[in-house]
Amino acid sequence: MSGVWVVLEERGGRVGRISWEAAAAGRRLGAAVGQPVNAVVPGAKTEALAAEAAGKGFAKVVRLEHSLLETYTADAFTYALEQFVRKEEPGYVVFPHTYQVRDYAPALAARLGQVLIGDVVAIADGPAFVRQLMQGRLNGEYRHSGSGTCFVSVQSGAFRADADAAGNATVETLAPTIEASQIRTKPGTPFRGSAQTVDLGSAQLIVSVGRGIKEAENLPLVQELASALGAELAASRPICDNGWLPIERQVGSSGQTVAPKLYLAVGISGAIQHLVGMKGSQCVVAINKDPDAPIFEVANYGIVGDLFEVVPAVTEAVKTAKT
Amino acid sequence: MKIVVAIKQVPERDAHMQIDASGRWIEEADLQWALNESDAYALEEALQLKEKHGGEVIVLSAGPERVSSTIREALAKGADRAIYVDTEDAASSDALGVAQLLAEAIKPENPDLVLTGLQSDDLGYGQTGVVLAELLGHPHSSLILHVEKTDAGITVKRELEEGWFQSIEMPLPAVLSIQSGGNKLRYATLMGIKKAKTKELRRVAAAELGQPPKPAATLERIVLPQKRKSTQILAGSPKEAAAALVEKLKFEARVL
Amino acid sequence: MIAPPTLAEPSQFSLVERLIFIGLAATSIFLFIRRLQPILRRILESKKDPDFHLAPVGRRVWDLVWEVMCQAKVIRQRPLPGLAHAFVFWGFCAFALVTLNHCAVGLDVGFLDSTGWFGRFYSYLAAVFAIACAAGITGLFVRRFVVRPRWLGEPLSWESGLIALLIFLLMVTYLGAFAVSEESATARELWWVHTLTLLMFLPIIPHTKHLHLVLSPATIFLSRSGFSRIPPLVGDEDFGLVAGKDLTQIVSLQAYSCVECGRCTEHCPAANTGKLLNPKEIVLGLRAYLNEFGPASSEPLLGKYNAQEAAFQCTTCGACEFQCPVGIEHLPILIGLRRGAVNTGTWEDDHGAKLFLALERGSNALGISASERDKFIQKQEFPIFDGTQEYCLWLGCMGGYDPKGREIVADFARVMKYLGTSFGVLRKEKCTGDPVRRLGNDLAFQQLAESNLETVTQAKVKKIVSICPHCVRTIQEDWKEYGPPPAVEHHSEFLARHLSKLPRTESSETIAYHDPCYLGRYRDVYDEPRAVVRASGQLVEAPRSGERSFCCGAGGGLAFLGEEKGERVSHVRADELAQTGASVVGTACPFCNTMFRDAFASKGAGGPQLLDIAQLTARSLPVSPTNPAN
Repeated sequence: MSGVWVVLEERGGRVGRISWEAAAAGRRLGAAVGQPVNAVVPGAKTEALAAEAAGKGFAKVVRLEHSLLETYTADAFTYALEQFVRKEEPGYVVFPHTYQVRDYAPALAARLGQVLIGDVVAIADGPAFVRQLMQGRLNGEYRHSGSGTCFVSVQSGAFRADADAAGNATVETLAPTIEASQIRTKPGTPFRGSAQTVDLGSAQLIVSVGRGIKEAENLPLVQELASALGAELAASRPICDNGWLPIERQVGSSGQTVAPKLYLAVGISGAIQHLVGMKGSQCVVAINKDPDAPIFEVANYGIVGDLFEVVPAVTEAVKTAKT
Repeated sequence: MKIVVAIKQVPERDAHMQIDASGRWIEEADLQWALNESDAYALEEALQLKEKHGGEVIVLSAGPERVSSTIREALAKGADRAIYVDTEDAASSDALGVAQLLAEAIKPENPDLVLTGLQSDDLGYGQTGVVLAELLGHPHSSLILHVEKTDAGITVKRELEEGWFQSIEMPLPAVLSIQSGGNKLRYATLMGIKKAKTKELRRVAAAELGQPPKPAATLERIVLPQKRKSTQILAGSPKEAAAALVEKLKFEARVL
Repeated sequence: MIAPPTLAEPSQFSLVERLIFIGLAATSIFLFIRRLQPILRRILESKKDPDFHLAPVGRRVWDLVWEVMCQAKVIRQRPLPGLAHAFVFWGFCAFALVTLNHCAVGLDVGFLDSTGWFGRFYSYLAAVFAIACAAGITGLFVRRFVVRPRWLGEPLSWESGLIALLIFLLMVTYLGAFAVSEESATARELWWVHTLTLLMFLPIIPHTKHLHLVLSPATIFLSRSGFSRIPPLVGDEDFGLVAGKDLTQIVSLQAYSCVECGRCTEHCPAANTGKLLNPKEIVLGLRAYLNEFGPASSEPLLGKYNAQEAAFQCTTCGACEFQCPVGIEHLPILIGLRRGAVNTGTWEDDHGAKLFLALERGSNALGISASERDKFIQKQEFPIFDGTQEYCLWLGCMGGYDPKGREIVADFARVMKYLGTSFGVLRKEKCTGDPVRRLGNDLAFQQLAESNLETVTQAKVKKIVSICPHCVRTIQEDWKEYGPPPAVEHHSEFLARHLSKLPRTESSETIAYHDPCYLGRYRDVYDEPRAVVRASGQLVEAPRSGERSFCCGAGGGLAFLGEEKGERVSHVRADELAQTGASVVGTACPFCNTMFRDAFASKGAGGPQLLDIAQLTARSLPVSPTNPAN
């Protein structure tokens, strides 16, 4: 049992950003336990991915390649990784905590008599793996006990990808044995949530506008910010009352209840009727002229200032960050 | 369709939490408990499937005596009967240990479908459903928002990242982890509570379900996360504040 | 000297005449009974009221004297038509003896000698009433058929016209008898016209709104004690008003007593803003239901005659019940219908379900984490109640979570500190259950009430003070079902009591005070908040104020439900308050406050300032929170 192996996940033909974050976690772990850090790329056409990974400071990169790994299925990935782990007997396997990993890694670990220490946000001495409990109100430190491979997945954004990782790793290919009959699920082509109707309830990013916008003519300013973020546009009640935006976009007690990852409130003072509709948001940003506006009470980040100056600046900064 | 829904009792969201003397768990004495949120959605999906296709909904929960109040709540919302696995140390078991208990309790029922919530609000492992499928030898899928019964089995709507979804076909029996928000939850009613009193609640001692495995991961210590100021006001010119905000959103809040 | 005219009483009726009279009278009485009987049967066959007690009889007798005999409510709410009605009523009372004698005359056993002193006196007395009654009924006729206030409903009721005509005829034929001699043929003709009118009148009573002549005294005498009293559910099959089998005798009696005057509708905030709900139609719907399905039916009450949507538009402001002159208790009926729908899970409403789920798994109606409340308590440095303080300051959901409600609480706490009154807040306070109680969710209410009662008992709370009239009402009245609550008062009562120890502002600022429903009609507290307002500026009364105050739209759990149909109640009331021209609108309820805040905000700048009475008081305090005298 030796070696830290990072499982890289493909995103749009390249290795996804969060996989590089997992790699950074893997390196920290490797340094702590004094073991080499390697990468494994499961998939059907992994050559380019492996080449990309080879230059990122791993000791070894394994292409875990099979045509049945082209489209993700839990069955195929579990079989493939199971064979890989049985062969390599790694000390640690580090995954990015993606939806895909959440779907098969626990089964993989269970098949090997282990559990996944999932959604890790930090690695402490020991190594102890820190993960959030009670919805982030407490942190728990976990240790792998007993022998066998330790499976870990790391939360998106918890580790900063190393910008300067470089190297020239050897690339090997491992072809697992998978039968088509072993795959019991039949996945369809991914599709977007229906675009016609506004579904604020399931929106991940929301830019919401309130009375601070003053005139309907000023709305494009906020719309631009929403477009830059790829966010849905929402509003507080007065905006919809005035007919500036349709009622489906109203957030609050008499409108929609939303729970996005990011809720950016522009010119919203934060009456209780509004707060009730967005309190489930993971991160709240408030831009308001009035430093005493109640919205700042619930915000994680606040900018006190004139929205007509701040919003265009944020739009610019978002655009810059995305390129 | 015979459906087993595995549910978990978790501390109420509002609960005041304190780390206990052992430093490994929270003070339970003063806590109030509730049904885990995504489990409520799993139960709702099961009830809707039953209402459409007939069959039976069995709720299953493991834990100490207090769990029975949450089981009653599930019965009140419309489940037909319940299995209660009596165990004191569910909290100290890892995901595999708990899943083994549940799998053993499920096996004699031979259900067509096993549903769990995606993730618990307390420990948040998010693995029980997937591990159950492994232990039962059934196909599974997680992050499911909707289940449709077909002639061959089921078609489920799975949530992917960044606003994408996917339909997956699979045969029965199967195990699904249900994501919150796919359905509208029903509220508990007086009539439901009164009916629940007459429904079967079968107690199984954990020991009857076999020896739990030695945990592969142990929770060593609970600590309070480092507190940041609740609201960070980003100062500076609009441009500086905007740049600081995007930086924070990217690396601190990690929402971009 | 000409003798004053006497009432002509024909005599010496022939056998044929007597037989015809007896036959007609018997027919009339028979028809009356035959029509009344099934109604009485439906009332009596309804479920018994589980918590009904005749005691205290004194109050019931007083209600009977005041509301029926004196027509107090009838007159007070609508002075002119009320008086007209009172004259008709008193005319009828005075006529009881006259009518008996009239019939006796037909059998030649008349007992009032119209030439004797008593007969003469009484016939003159009755004549005075007859003139008043004729004038009254003419006035009511003109109102109904010419003025046509919309509360009376459409279409015009021809029965009402006929009844008015009959009453008028009765009076005229009586008065006419003074102008003729006993021997004249006209006297006999008048007697017959009077008699026939009377005999026609009788069978019409049971199947028209004039049934109230018979039933409403009973309805008023047998009303439940207390305003908007929600009866307890009994047994395992009682979920509120689900079907006919759930209608109690009192509810059925009330359904048949409605006189269709429309006072309830006239004052109803829902009916006045384009909603489906019309409280009068709810009562008439129950009557129609009873007529068709009967009191043992399993047919849902919310169906053919009453709409679920209407039942859930009620703000429980209580204006209907407060105004009703025949003692109908609309709130137990409306809330009963909601209970039936919610307790059985047949009410499906996204916002309602959200509220219920928030209270199933959390502590407050807003669904916000209790840690937010903790933060507020810490920030304000409120002491935690430990049994040593005099008052437990109940924050409520609005005071604990709403930014504006928090300001009110903070200001009230400043006043208490200034006065040197010791107080503390509870760490584990939950929603009192007001919104779920009014929406008919008995399960959620029971859990909240029991949990709160346990908390206050453990903490040894003796006295609660709250800024929220909804909390106050629910703690004092509704918790009783699950245990004795501690004493509770509204902050207006506390402030009014301590006014002498608080600095006064001699200000010419005009303040329009809005009476919250749950403080005024529900608690009968009108003067205390006004005293507080007067200590801070010049009190201005809104056109509808005091016990006729118009709702803000938030009550009955509606603050938590979705967008209203039609006009917003809050906007109607906010406009009314703004139109007083006062520079400040004074409120005494955080729900009213938040509703008006929204309403004023949507009108743009320039509206009146909105302040709770606690804020009015706190304005006059020195910046340092402590009283130099303490």
